[in-house]
Amino acid sequence: MADALLNAAQRHRWIWPALGVLLLWAALTVLTARFSLHSLSGVAMSASFLLMPALGQMLVITTGRGNIDLSIPSVITVSAYVTVVTASSGMNGFWLPLFLVIVIAVGVGLFNAMLLLVLRIPAMIATLATGYILATATLLVNARVSIFPRPPVLIWLATGRIGGLPVICLIALTVAAVVGIVLARTAFGKQLSAVGQNIVAARYAGVQTARLIASAFVASSLLASLTGMLLAAYAGGAFLEMGAPYLLQSVGAVVLGGTLIAGGSASVLGTFFGSFLLILIVTTMQIAGLPAGAQDILQGLVIIGVLSIAGGKLRSRRD
Amino acid sequence: MATSPALKQRPQDHASLPPLAALTRIAKTYGDTHANSDVNFDIAAGEVVGLVGANGAGKSTLMRILCGVTEPNSGAMRFDGQEIDLAVYSPQQARERGIRIVWQELSLSPNLSVAENFYVEQPQFVRRSAFWLRDYHRLANEAIERIFPGAAISTRRLVSDMTIAERQMVEISRAACDPRLKLLILDEPTSSLGAERSRQLRDFVRALAGEGKAVIFISHKLSEVLSLCDRVVAMRNGRIAWEKPANEANIDDLVNAMGGAGVGQRAARRDSRLEAAGAVQVRIDGPWLAGDQRPVELRAGEVIGLAGLEGSGQKRLLQALFAKKHGDGLERHGPVRYVSGDRQLEGVFPLWTVLDNVLIGRVAQWAGWRPVNVQKNRPAVEKAAQRLSLDPGRLDSNILELSGGNQQKALVARALIDEAGIILLDDPTRGVDIAAKRDFYRVVREIAAAGRLVIWLSTEDLEFLECDRVLVFSGGKIVTELRGEAISEEAIVASSFAKPEKSAQSAPAREDRSLLTMLLKSIPFVSLVLVFAAMTYQNPLVASGFGLQLLLTPAVTLVLIAVAQMFIVGGSEIDLGVGNFCGLVNVVSATILFTAPFTGGAILIGLIAAYALMGLLIQARAIPAIVVTLGASFVWAGLGQTIQPSPGGASPEWLRAMFSFKVPGIPTPLLLIFLVGLAAYSIDRSPAGTILRAFGSNVLALRRAGWSHNRYSVLRYGIASIFVMIAGLYVTATNGASDINAGTSYTLLGIAAVVIGGCQLLGGVIAPLGVVAGAVTLALIGALLASLGVSTDYNAAVQGTLLILILALQALAGWRRSRG
Repeated sequence: MADALLNAAQRHRWIWPALGVLLLWAALTVLTARFSLHSLSGVAMSASFLLMPALGQMLVITTGRGNIDLSIPSVITVSAYVTVVTASSGMNGFWLPLFLVIVIAVGVGLFNAMLLLVLRIPAMIATLATGYILATATLLVNARVSIFPRPPVLIWLATGRIGGLPVICLIALTVAAVVGIVLARTAFGKQLSAVGQNIVAARYAGVQTARLIASAFVASSLLASLTGMLLAAYAGGAFLEMGAPYLLQSVGAVVLGGTLIAGGSASVLGTFFGSFLLILIVTTMQIAGLPAGAQDILQGLVIIGVLSIAGGKLRSRRD
Repeated sequence: MATSPALKQRPQDHASLPPLAALTRIAKTYGDTHANSDVNFDIAAGEVVGLVGANGAGKSTLMRILCGVTEPNSGAMRFDGQEIDLAVYSPQQARERGIRIVWQELSLSPNLSVAENFYVEQPQFVRRSAFWLRDYHRLANEAIERIFPGAAISTRRLVSDMTIAERQMVEISRAACDPRLKLLILDEPTSSLGAERSRQLRDFVRALAGEGKAVIFISHKLSEVLSLCDRVVAMRNGRIAWEKPANEANIDDLVNAMGGAGVGQRAARRDSRLEAAGAVQVRIDGPWLAGDQRPVELRAGEVIGLAGLEGSGQKRLLQALFAKKHGDGLERHGPVRYVSGDRQLEGVFPLWTVLDNVLIGRVAQWAGWRPVNVQKNRPAVEKAAQRLSLDPGRLDSNILELSGGNQQKALVARALIDEAGIILLDDPTRGVDIAAKRDFYRVVREIAAAGRLVIWLSTEDLEFLECDRVLVFSGGKIVTELRGEAISEEAIVASSFAKPEKSAQSAPAREDRSLLTMLLKSIPFVSLVLVFAAMTYQNPLVASGFGLQLLLTPAVTLVLIAVAQMFIVGGSEIDLGVGNFCGLVNVVSATILFTAPFTGGAILIGLIAAYALMGLLIQARAIPAIVVTLGASFVWAGLGQTIQPSPGGASPEWLRAMFSFKVPGIPTPLLLIFLVGLAAYSIDRSPAGTILRAFGSNVLALRRAGWSHNRYSVLRYGIASIFVMIAGLYVTATNGASDINAGTSYTLLGIAAVVIGGCQLLGGVIAPLGVVAGAVTLALIGALLASLGVSTDYNAAVQGTLLILILALQALAGWRRSRG
């Protein structure tokens, strides 16, 4: 019985962050009067903003070989700025920034993939460098920011509600569902997992490995850029450090969610609960009145801790 | 050096002596494969024993047991009169007792020089001296000259720049020069040596035996074994099959003992395929053929063997056929599938079931959006499995739960599930037991009979008896084509050693490459001079003492951080936390260290310990360094922010004094940079630094040599943290204040400096002086841009672009290398 339970937990690694969410939530409800269903909706919205870039990060990490996308924060910030600068209050004021943001995202994703696949630069260095170049672009745009006339559609997407449910949560859930279906039910999902487990074997089996890895990076940039756009509408503007928290948190949500850091096995459900758990931890610390520094410390320690327990290698069942 | 006369004076009667080493009733299984069963093996002092057997006969396993790498399931061992407890027997113990082995897969560290490689294996000679390596140059030189007179291998050269033959000579000399040596094991030592060097080695082996040392000589060159050894032992299917004094044996005996062909079986096979003559599927021409042969045409329904010594071009042909349809003298019609015999590295998907592992062969060809219904495809997988007599009941097991032979069947099923016309087999029966092999041969026959073309690379010459035609490779080209009855082990071996006309093209490529490498190495220094010249041109005051003082002060921090990062990169890892760690030290030293020196000091020491611990964690738990250091970077930043939420603080007076000493005529920062460079260089060139670098490339070899990876990981991160700590203290001393965010930008800058400095991110190639020059250049570029009136907004982009450009250049050099 205990064995079967442990086995199930081993197979469905999302159970751990889900348990974490439940426990933390229960503890908060019991211990503080201030935590209610209302504050939960705030947590849900923050978690939604994290879930999207985290799903992108998950796709990149799943391609294996230590691949990681460190340009996510810069893409978020740049997209937020582009939205602020190009949006106007009308329907066209929505389409134009959307178009631009998508173009930028595809460009960045392809650039990252090119550095990785053609020039053989390790993903972390490539995306780090890309991030710095984007940061300069942000600085340049920053100088031109004046007012931000927000198109109503965008405001609704970022802050609206349908029957009490925040629209942003619905968007994030939809994205998660799509990614989940793609990973579990399509050839792309199988091929991605194959590449992440063993890229040489995948190539010999006939998978177009380069195209696949490139599409993971593009997807990651796309999700980050849409997050940036929505975040700008949500916050009513853009600022330079806007994307910064998403660097660690996107990786953190993926790691907490039980996606293998070595690649080959992604868990959308896990990343969902991981995002939720991470935001819940941050919120708890805010309620407890801990300073921002302490939040960083704890987040860092949680990620290192979870990784050291899980271990980094693909574990074969024979060991 | 004694020559042939020594060969004649064989001590004939070793049987009367007590054996030096004796293995009794050794058994070792891997899954259902019996690598060794009931093996009794002994060797006397002064004896040379030849060990022969087909690939996979169990020779390597037995030797790994003998030198402590592999623990057997059962059996006993005595060495030099002592019983050895096999449960705790280790490579280090074997070494201390005087057992040395030259591995078939070479175990030199390519990023070290010859002399440094000698140190890795013989650390006991090291002296406490700045010139410790000189001893090793002498040792290496003497050792190589003793065995291979006239080889003239410079001991300063990097192993990566040497030919395979030279590496093999270094490897042999390194093992043989151990003064404790009692038993030397040579595993295929002459596979890449020319005739003259092989003769020198044989002379040396006889001389060793004359000194009373025992030698085990493993080789596929049977005549060499017979002429050199006192006694020959043949292994087959994990057992000792045959044993005789060499002067009572001949080559036919040996071939038979190793498992000569079952003739009847072969004849039966031949009949079945006479009518096969399908369409031409593959045409091989031009650069692949030696001499002026006609193009080779391979037809549907044939089984084609690719033979030759390992690395003679067979694998390259297979890869080229897989990679593209046309070009480089190859022409292929129709889709192709590749089955590798290296199941762990190139075959299985370890997280998946057998079903998924087979099905991917079909799904891989599909467009990404296409839905996959595993159960709907199950019948097709079952059909493929049945064809290979793979039990369909096991389709839902994880692939790793299957034996090697069954895993291989699953991989072949993967290739068969779609109707690809050409199947490439890359040594598919490696490590597969004999029954599974028989099954496999039958399957290959059936595949061909169904009208497909099978191209089969094997390292077991006996397997070519299963083929219709065999293309024998030598020196990268096809030298012979054998057909039907002409296919025999002897014919293949004879052709394998045929030399094609000299390929003279390799030399210029080598020069080309060293030029590019030189260029890469000089980049940091040239760009430093250029940037400095440009700045002096802009403002002549730059070259004054005061100007240098002003300009170089910020450079010192970057130099320190870059050096820290360099030591991490030397282990093929990257640290994303150095910048924030520098900021944290800055904060601690400007606040706590200022008010309470002892607490502050303790905290700083604690931080170094934490950093070293991080190194241990990364190594011991096999977690990617980037993620750990990324997490840690937030911990450092958070700590700094908690200690001091907004910039402020002050530098302790003594700290300020420490960094502002004056030497007349030299600006202090210049002196500091010089000292840091000197320190980094000395550490890198020290014995410990050598091992740190060695761990960046060939971890397995280092482990076998008895070095602890955990310990050196701790040392690596410890050294890095000390350099970063000095950087943080320096910032405090020069700024007189602290800001936790001050360090953030140094992370990327540090990596950029390391890359510009000529280090490689993988493979443990680092260059301390280049890194120092690169860091100073980067620091100056910021100042140069400012003096040109470029907004500091562009700094990050310039640094990022520079980083990418240099890496692109390195990639270019890498391409040249792989082609050259």
